[in-house]
Amino acid sequence: MNISKIRNVMAEEGIVFSFSGMISQSLTSFMVETAKIQLQERGEDGKLIRNMFLIAIEQLQNIMSYSKDKDIGDGTKYTSPGVMVIGIDKEKNKYYVNSSNQIIESDRVKVSQKIHYINSLQRDELRKYLRDKLRSAEDKHERGAGVGFIEMAKRSSEKLEYDFEEVDNKLYFHIKTYI
Amino acid sequence: MENLNIEATKYTPKIDFNVETNILNIIGKSYPENTFEYYKPIVNWIEEYLETIDDAVVLINLDLEYLNSSSLKAYFDLFDLLEIAHDEGKNITINWIYDEENDISEETGEDFIADFENLNITLKIKG
Repeated sequence: MNISKIRNVMAEEGIVFSFSGMISQSLTSFMVETAKIQLQERGEDGKLIRNMFLIAIEQLQNIMSYSKDKDIGDGTKYTSPGVMVIGIDKEKNKYYVNSSNQIIESDRVKVSQKIHYINSLQRDELRKYLRDKLRSAEDKHERGAGVGFIEMAKRSSEKLEYDFEEVDNKLYFHIKTYI
Repeated sequence: MENLNIEATKYTPKIDFNVETNILNIIGKSYPENTFEYYKPIVNWIEEYLETIDDAVVLINLDLEYLNSSSLKAYFDLFDLLEIAHDEGKNITINWIYDEENDISEETGEDFIADFENLNITLKIKG
């Protein structure tokens, strides 16, 4: 393995922060706080940084909750393998938060439908939809309110980009959110 | 009833509930992984406290810089509880405190005001 290959890929993709491995709550906190400092040092605007912070939290906590390989420690603490990168898309000149994790087949349709619907909504509709979901609690489960994708979409300047990929009989979910 | 004090962590806020002054402060970030479990004892304390206050004037200061989506739900549920208490005649005032530059927090406060019309919620810029 040639480490400079990784460095080259990161430079090409405009990646300013990346992680691959077991994601836990303390790492989530460490990563978003570190990425925040990095963006501050680049002189980025406070609003952009807050959006990045919240999007990254939602993506990382989704990985912890939904990853197929999640390890449920004592019932309150999960760890799951995943990949997250934060970078700048040079063509769009926008920051993005991009992550990937393995999911179970039965979540594929559920997740697709959810994001498909969220992507059909305009900004003011998203705000209302989130409030309706908070009130009804129909998607609430023990680990969350089931509204993470709505929150990501609210913080994003574009539609949520996502896809599924099968590799060696494993199903991976990728999501990319532009700020 | 005892005061409730919980120190802040990197991802949970400082809780400072005082039964003598009737001021309840929540200050900091909120993005725990097990949000509902985290807030359960805090909400239980508030429920018990509301039973004891009679006509006391209660001030709740919420100064939350970052909320993850499950924390939004936890606060939505807390406001539900406070609205019921308000409708029963309790005297509750809520300050939603935010940094002038933090329009995400300002918008969240506006949404709470719209969703809980009966509650006395004031948006306050951090001084």
